[in-house]
Amino acid sequence: MVTLNSKIPQGPLAEKWTRYKADQKLVNPANKRKLDVIVVGTGLAGASAAASLGALGFNVKIFCISDSPRRAHSIAAQGGINAAKNYPNDGDSIGRLFYDTIKGGDYRAREANVYRLAEVSSNIIDQCVAQGVPFARDYAGMLDNRSFGGAQVSRTFYAKGQTGQQLLLGAYSALSKEIKAGSVKMYHRKEMMDLVVVDGKARGIITRDLQTGKLERWFGHAVIVATGGYGNVYYLSTNAMNSNGSAAWQCYKRGACFANPCYVQIHPTCIPVHGDYQSKLTLMSESLRNDGRIWVPKKKEDAEAIRAGKLKPTDIAEQDRDYYLERRYPAFGNLVPRDIASRAAKERCDAGYGVGSGQAVYLDFKDAIERLGKDKVEARYGNLFQMYEKIVDQNPYQTPMMIYPAVHYTMGGLWVDYELQTTIEGLFAAGEANFSDHGANRLGASALMQGLADGYFVLPYTIQNYLSKEIYNAPIPTTVAEFDMAEQAVREKIQKLMSIKGEKSVDTFQKELGHIMWEYVGMGRTKEGLEKAIPMIQQLRKEFWENVRIVGEENTMNPELEKAIRLSDHLELAELIARDALQREESCGGHFREEHQTEEGEAKRDDEHFMFVGAWEYKGENQEPELHKEDLNYEFIKVQQRNYK
Amino acid sequence: MNLTLKIWRQENAKAKGRFETYKLENISPDCSFLEMLDILNEQLVNKLAHPVCFDNDCREGICGMCGLYINGRPHGPDDGVTTCQLHMRRFKDGDTIVIEPWRAKPFPIIKDLVVDRSAFDKIIQEGGYISVTTGGVPDGNAIPIPKKNADEAMDSAACIGCGACVAACKNASAMLFVSAKVSQLTLLPQGKPEAAKRVQAMVAKMDELGFGNCTNTYACEAECPKSIKRSNIARMNREFICAKVCSEE
Amino acid sequence: MRLVKLASVTKKITIAAVGAFLLVFLPMHMGLNLCIIRDDGGEWYRNVCHFMGTNWIVKIFELVLLACCLLHIVVGVLLTIENYMARPVRYQVPSRTKTHFGSKYMIWTGGLVFCFLVLHFINFYFVKYDLVEGVYTVKTEKLQMHIQDRAMDLQKSFDEGKIGQEELSEKMMGLQMEYLSFFQLMQTGQPAEKLSRDGQELVNLDRKSLEAFVGKDFKDYEPDFYTMCNNLFKDRTYSLIYILALIVLGIHLFHAVNSIFQTFGLNHRKYNGAIEMFAVIYAILIPVGFAVVPFYVMFVR
Repeated sequence: MVTLNSKIPQGPLAEKWTRYKADQKLVNPANKRKLDVIVVGTGLAGASAAASLGALGFNVKIFCISDSPRRAHSIAAQGGINAAKNYPNDGDSIGRLFYDTIKGGDYRAREANVYRLAEVSSNIIDQCVAQGVPFARDYAGMLDNRSFGGAQVSRTFYAKGQTGQQLLLGAYSALSKEIKAGSVKMYHRKEMMDLVVVDGKARGIITRDLQTGKLERWFGHAVIVATGGYGNVYYLSTNAMNSNGSAAWQCYKRGACFANPCYVQIHPTCIPVHGDYQSKLTLMSESLRNDGRIWVPKKKEDAEAIRAGKLKPTDIAEQDRDYYLERRYPAFGNLVPRDIASRAAKERCDAGYGVGSGQAVYLDFKDAIERLGKDKVEARYGNLFQMYEKIVDQNPYQTPMMIYPAVHYTMGGLWVDYELQTTIEGLFAAGEANFSDHGANRLGASALMQGLADGYFVLPYTIQNYLSKEIYNAPIPTTVAEFDMAEQAVREKIQKLMSIKGEKSVDTFQKELGHIMWEYVGMGRTKEGLEKAIPMIQQLRKEFWENVRIVGEENTMNPELEKAIRLSDHLELAELIARDALQREESCGGHFREEHQTEEGEAKRDDEHFMFVGAWEYKGENQEPELHKEDLNYEFIKVQQRNYK
Repeated sequence: MNLTLKIWRQENAKAKGRFETYKLENISPDCSFLEMLDILNEQLVNKLAHPVCFDNDCREGICGMCGLYINGRPHGPDDGVTTCQLHMRRFKDGDTIVIEPWRAKPFPIIKDLVVDRSAFDKIIQEGGYISVTTGGVPDGNAIPIPKKNADEAMDSAACIGCGACVAACKNASAMLFVSAKVSQLTLLPQGKPEAAKRVQAMVAKMDELGFGNCTNTYACEAECPKSIKRSNIARMNREFICAKVCSEE
Repeated sequence: MRLVKLASVTKKITIAAVGAFLLVFLPMHMGLNLCIIRDDGGEWYRNVCHFMGTNWIVKIFELVLLACCLLHIVVGVLLTIENYMARPVRYQVPSRTKTHFGSKYMIWTGGLVFCFLVLHFINFYFVKYDLVEGVYTVKTEKLQMHIQDRAMDLQKSFDEGKIGQEELSEKMMGLQMEYLSFFQLMQTGQPAEKLSRDGQELVNLDRKSLEAFVGKDFKDYEPDFYTMCNNLFKDRTYSLIYILALIVLGIHLFHAVNSIFQTFGLNHRKYNGAIEMFAVIYAILIPVGFAVVPFYVMFVR
C-alpha cells in the first residue's frame, strides 16, 4: 500500500525551492565517488542529469537505446524553449510563466513544482548559451524571442526550427565531456528490461543488449528513469519509432505509481495521415501558428468540392473561409493552447468541413507572405516549409498547408514527489517520463524546459537528499536473488514471446491497438467508448500472447522481438490509459470527455471532484489497479475556467 | 509501383554478406522509403523470413539514425534529405533499387544495413564540447554574439551525425562531420578558449579511428542531408594550422 | 590505418603547400617556352636556357623543385593508399554523387602527368646532364680556339720531343681536315638557320658529329633545346601526346588551385567566386600557354 507524499516544502511559493536547497542534505565529494547512479535514457532529461551528476563526482552509468545519445527524440522538438527572462521587456516574469503553465495545464499541475520550473527556466538558457547552443540572435547580438501558444508574451528562445536538436546536442556535449573525464560510463544499444528492487529500494536494472540479445545486470544506489513518454501506444504519433513507455511501465509493475495516464497531448499541427502503410506522423512546429492562419471552407459544398479535387484551396474567396480559431477565440486567435486548437480542428472536420481526406484543415501563409514578404517567411519557417514539401509534394508558399492533430506528448507518467522521486525509494523519474509539471496539457516550448530543468537543476540537488543516506551502503553485488529473479523473469518473457510462433506480425497488433486507442481513447472520449475499449484492449492482449509471430533469434539483433517486448507493455499501458480516462469524469486539458463540455463545446472541468492527481498502483497481473489520489491544493493561484477568448 | 530491390544482407559483423533480391508490388508513390521497407519486412515476416534490419528512429529527418546507400548515393537520389524523408515518388515503376549499408572501416556492420557509428561519439568525446559544468555560468546575454556568427554556428550545428558524409566520400573521410562541430564552437565566443586544443584532439581521434583523408572532392557537401557546407572544412583547416603554428597546446 | 604518423590535415597541408610551390613554377616554365615562338632563330630561347642552365640560384631552385615534386608524389601516393584502406569493402554501385570536377581522379591525372614528366625529362632535362644524347650548340669562336689550342698542344708536344715530326704533321693534317669539314658543314647549310647567342655565331651539332669534330675532351658545348623542341614538335605523334598531357594537367590544376585555398582555409564568402575564377583561368591559361608552342611549330613554322 503506497501513500502519496508530495514532500512539498513549507513556506511561501516563491521561497519553497530556495528553502529546500538550504535544508537538503548533501553528499561530500569523497562519498560521491562511492555512489553509483544509473540513468536510463539519453534525451534532454537523461543526458543533462547524467552530465550534471557526473560533474558533481558521482559514478554514473547511462543507458541509451540507440547507437548514440544524439538520436533521442528530444532532438525532434522544433519550436523552442520557454524561459522567464523577460528580455523583450513585455511583462514576463517567473510568476507569469508559472501562471501560464498552470493555466495551460488546466489547473491539474502541482503548484510548487511548476513554480520551481519557472524559477530555474532562466538558468537553463544561460547554461545552454555557455555550452555553445546557437540560439537565434538579433542584430545587436542579443538572444531573440518568439511567441508561442498559450502565452501573451514572447518568452520562447529558439535555434531556427531545430531548438530541440540544439539543446539535446548541448546536453550530449556535456555528457560527452563527462564520458571523456570518466565520470560517466555510456552504454549504447541497450534497452532497460526491468527494474531491480532490493528491500524496497531501487537498486539496479536489467538490460538487453540490442546487438547480441544478452541480458545484463547493473547496480546503482539510485536509478533515474528518463525514457520519455508513451505516445506510441497510439501507433501513429509524432514520437520516434523507438520511443516507448516500456521502462516506465516496468517501474510501474515494480511498485511505482503511474499518474494521470489519460493526459495525452494531441498536437494540432501535424501533417495528415495519407495511407495505411504510414508508420508515423510528422509534426510541423507550433511556431507556424504565429504567422499562419487556420481555416476551413465556410460552405460544406466547397469542402466537398475540395475533397473531390474539383476546387483548389486558393479558389476559395476570402469571405468563404472560416478562420474558426480567430472566430471562436478572438483574444488568442491561432495561438490558443494545443488541446483547444486540436479539438477545434476535429470539431470542424467531424462537422464535415474537413479538407484533403476529410481529416485535415488548412494552415495558410498567404497573409503572412503579403505582410512580411516571402523572404522573411522563408527565414522564419523555411526548413519547415521544405520539410512539408518533401513529404506532401506541395509548395506551401503557393497553396496552404494541410494539418491535422496527432498524438504528440504524454503529460502522464510515473508519479513523482517534489524531489522527482517515485513511490519506489531510490527510483527517480525525469522529463516526459514523469507525470510532470504540465498538468492536463503542456504548453508549447515547455517540454524542453522541463526536461532540462529536471536534469540540470532539480535532480542534481534532490537526488543528493536521498543519496546522503546511501553513503553507508556498499554496492550490492548483482548476484543477489533479486537480480537473479528479475533477469529470470525477463528471460522467461522473451522465451515465451519467441515460442508463440503465431500468425500475425507485431506491426499488425500495434496498428490494431493504435486504432482502438485513437478511436476510443483519442481526442474525444465517451463513457461508452471507453467501456468498449477496455475489453477490446484485453482481447487484443490475449490474442497477442497467443498469436504473435516473431521471426529470427533472441540472441541477435532482432527488431521484431524488440517491438514485441515493447508492445506487450503497451498493451497493458493502453488499458490503464483507458481506465484513467474512464475514471476522470470531467474534461480538462488533453483529456476531453464529450459528456463534459460547455454549450460552446469547450472543456468543462469538475474541480470539486477531480482536482487531484490520479496515481495508479499495480496490484498484480489481471488485477484491477488501485487509484490513489493526490489532492491539488491551489494556495497561490485562483482557479478559473480556462478562457482564451 | 512495382520494384525490384537488391539489398545487402549480413548476419553479423563477422559473417560474409551477400545481396538478396526481392520483388515488391503495388507500392504507393506517396509511401516513404522506409515505409516501403516496412512493407517488405511485413511480407518477409509473413513468409517466416528474417526481416531486413535497418536503423531508423524519428522518421522526420532529424535524429540521424537512418542512412542507406541507395543506388550509389547516400540517402538516395534526392538532395538534402535523409533516407526517411525520401519518398517513393522519386522512383519509377519497374525500377531496380540497390540498397547498401554505409561502407567505411570505422563503421563496422552490425547486421544487414545497420552499422556502428559510435566512432562519431568518440570524436565528440575528444573535444566536441565547451567544458562548462552545470551552473555558475554568466547570463545568456552577457556576451553579445553577432547575428551572423550565431546563424553560421547554427548552420554548422545542424549536423545530425548520420554519417552520409563518410559514406559519400571516396576516402571515407569524416572531415565534414568533425569540421561542423569545430566550426560551430569556434564561431562562438564561448568556444574560443579551448579552440586550439579541441581541433587538434578531434582531428587526432578522427585519424586514429581510421577515417580517410580529405581530398576536397566535396562529395560530403553534396550528400549532406542538412547541407553542411565545405567552408566548415576550410575553417577547420585554418584552425588546425593556427593551432599547430601558434598555440603551445 | 595510418602509414605515417602525421595528422591527416598535416598531410593535406603538406601536399597543398608543395603543390602551391609547383604552381608558381609552371607560369615561369611557360614563359620560357613561349620564347620559342619568337622567330629569331632561337636567340632568346637559347639565352634563357643558357641562363637557366648555368645560374647557381636557379640550380638551387631546381633542387628544391625536384624535392617538392618528389614530396608531392610521395604524400599523394600515401594518402591514396590510406584512403583506400579506409573503405575495405567497396560499394556495389559506383558513386553517383556529384563531386568537384577532377577531384576524384587526382591520383590518376597526377600519375599521367608524372608519366609525361618522365618523357619530358628524357627528352630535355637529362640532356643537360649528358644522361641522354641530344643536339648541342658550340660557339664557332670557341671551336676555333679549341682547334687552335689543340694545334698548339701538338706543337708543344713536338717541341718537347714527345712526338715525332711525322706524327705532328699527320695530326695537324687531321685538325685541318676537321676544321675544313666543320666550315664546310656550316656553309652547306646544316643547320639551315644562322644561329647566334649573345651576338656570337653558333653552330649546332649532334653528339656524334661533335665528337667526330672536336673529340671527347671538348666541354664548351651546350644542349640546343631550341632545335630539339623544333624537331620534336614537328613529330605529330609527339605533339599529340604533349597536348593530351596538357589537358590532363589542366584538370589536375583546376582542382589543385581550388584545393589549395580550401586546405589553407582561405575561404571567404566574398572571395570564393574569385578563387574559383582564378582556378578556371589558371587551369586553362597554363595548358594553353604550353600548347601554343607545338601548334606554332607544327602549323606556322
